[in-house]
Amino acid sequence: MRLLFVTKVDSGDRVYRSHWRSAMRLLLVSKLHSWGGAVSTITRYTEVGRTLGHEVAVFGEQLADIPVPCSLDVEDFDYAVFVIYGASDFPDLPYLARLLDGLPKDRRVIIDCCGRYNDTIRVEHDFNHLERLDGHQGWEWIEGFEAVSDRILQPTLTPRRDDVIPFLFHGFDPGAVSRPAALPISASGGRGDATSKPYGAIYVGNNWQRWSQIAAFLEAVEPIKDKLGPICLSGWDWDKRPDWAVEHGVRGVDVDPELLRRLDVETKYAIPFHEVIDFLGQARFGPVFQRPLFNHLGLVTNRTFETLCADTIPLLMLPGEMVEAIHGPDARSLVPDGDVAGRLEDMIARPEAYWDAVANVRAHLAEHRSYGRRFEELLGVLGS
Amino acid sequence: MNVLFIMDKRVNAGSIHAVANHIKAGDDLGHTIALYGHADPRYDGVRFSTDIEFFDRVVFIIESGLRWMSGLRVPRVLEAVPRERRAILDADGMHNPLIVIDGYDRNFASEPERATWLRHYELLADRILQPTTDVRVSGVRAVPFYGYDLTRRARASSKRFDIVHVGHNWWRWREVSSCLLPAIERIRNQIGEVCFVGSWWDHVPAGAVDENREMAFGIDPERFRRSRIMVRQAVPYTDVITTMSDGRVNVMTQRPLFRHLKLLTSKYFEIFAADTIPLVMLDVERAEEVYGSAGPELALDGDVERKLLDALAKPEKYAELADVVRAHLATHHSYHRRVAELVEALA
Repeated sequence: MRLLFVTKVDSGDRVYRSHWRSAMRLLLVSKLHSWGGAVSTITRYTEVGRTLGHEVAVFGEQLADIPVPCSLDVEDFDYAVFVIYGASDFPDLPYLARLLDGLPKDRRVIIDCCGRYNDTIRVEHDFNHLERLDGHQGWEWIEGFEAVSDRILQPTLTPRRDDVIPFLFHGFDPGAVSRPAALPISASGGRGDATSKPYGAIYVGNNWQRWSQIAAFLEAVEPIKDKLGPICLSGWDWDKRPDWAVEHGVRGVDVDPELLRRLDVETKYAIPFHEVIDFLGQARFGPVFQRPLFNHLGLVTNRTFETLCADTIPLLMLPGEMVEAIHGPDARSLVPDGDVAGRLEDMIARPEAYWDAVANVRAHLAEHRSYGRRFEELLGVLGS
Repeated sequence: MNVLFIMDKRVNAGSIHAVANHIKAGDDLGHTIALYGHADPRYDGVRFSTDIEFFDRVVFIIESGLRWMSGLRVPRVLEAVPRERRAILDADGMHNPLIVIDGYDRNFASEPERATWLRHYELLADRILQPTTDVRVSGVRAVPFYGYDLTRRARASSKRFDIVHVGHNWWRWREVSSCLLPAIERIRNQIGEVCFVGSWWDHVPAGAVDENREMAFGIDPERFRRSRIMVRQAVPYTDVITTMSDGRVNVMTQRPLFRHLKLLTSKYFEIFAADTIPLVMLDVERAEEVYGSAGPELALDGDVERKLLDALAKPEKYAELADVVRAHLATHHSYHRRVAELVEALA
């Protein structure tokens, strides 16, 4: 027997509009590369969309190194979803013209991943607008976005502007969890042997506006570094401040090679997005850092959720309220609350308690932050 | 006519000085001219506006890059301004076949790059203007654009340097290293301080190697040191004329591609607004074409060291020659004239 209950289950008044579409065709617009940005999230959207009976493709020529369907046939799609980190996420002019001509403004939305659609905000030396870097002043982000779409979404629960739609965009993929039934002994080094994992802590992310937090973390763990084990930073520009940053006087790609040397921190070039979860699993602990701007605006990233998929105990170096709102109440124990070394020592001594928390957080994320749920939310926005 | 310029504005490079002068001259002539953007204190004399609908014409000033025409910036303009009201000022002569000068300077690295560039032009506008006297492609209209600002004539000032060169090290190294530097080296002990003002004379910019642009930035800091040539960083457009006025003699060089395409630049005229003896590294025919009958006397077209020494030894003679040229520029190359030409081209 198959029963279909017909009732209004949503507080909105347009609940039936998009959900009854047989299939939605979405064209995602963003500059993809294997080492960062939205590549992981967009890949998940193409997979989940297909699973749910929709068609999702990325605007552009077919990519050789990223397994997502790509298309330039704008007219074949219902909506264009611009996923914007920087100005270069907009296509070059010839492609952009095709896109704007083929899909009218009311069929375009922008997901503003870095809070560009705000007044200029500075947090430490992190900005949402930095003309020195990309040539665009603050007003251009506002007026430029408004020229492309009337609907701007931001991956935060607490947007600053009334005309921004909160939409977390990034999500949790329960199917990507490395060891869903991981035993508590995992964090203590497999069989209680701290050397069975090659690293004590791994952070995967590029050196952009994170150094102040990384430096504070390293200084905090220095007294317990032997107990913790080797530390690895994987991403762009962790070995030295790049020449372009020096030449343009751009802060935010700072690094202190002497501190890294003192703690024997290994720096690796960025790894491709599909290797991140396995690589994080080579460490006992996976600290999650976000740019100061992102913490200030409550913006989430792919890494906010992806680290929970790895076989590692995440150390959420994020504001506690944000963690509780996004990851659920059990995640509070994964926030060091100002005592990084103390919390890590406790995690080393009592890994079972923290693995229990990880399991609960994963369950919370699977229920509330899954890509399937995200996708349906996006369809709801598009249909509204 | 109300004209809105859109450009990759840089305070110490490109066409910004010409834009400021167009705005001022436009006010005198009853035309409202502005630059797309919001007011910015770094750009003295520049009127900014984002009220696109107010303007009768929009002119994209395109120099050596396209990246600034980002998808963030352009859609608003394209949606607000119909194609027939848009024009391109092709400042660097990109609307041309692929040209390589002596295996060195070039407008494009390859035919695919040229095709990409021209595709951008096709999407932006039908009307293409070039600041040249030698248009080579059909459909392009010559509009000199750069001119002489009669009101900015520098007052006499004390001189810190015997020779000053103001300009960035961008495709200039071959001429500088093979013509100007040898001449300076041969007379080095007979002249006083020498100064190069501009970017990249002492270092190659970050990213140039990765972007395969290293050839445009040849440098030899050791040679500069040996020749006791000072290097000072680029100055904003508002200080160019006073900086030139620090030198008893100023030398203007131009990248080979621009010389080949007979493109004008702001420097052609700024050097005559300065309180200095202007010497221009142009062939005498070109010097006469732009500067009038006295122009060839100020051209560095062979025997550079003799001309440098002569100018330093006989400043009154050269000052008179420069004044003759200034009179010619006031008549033929004023910004009032430039604005009138632009308005006519956009009508």
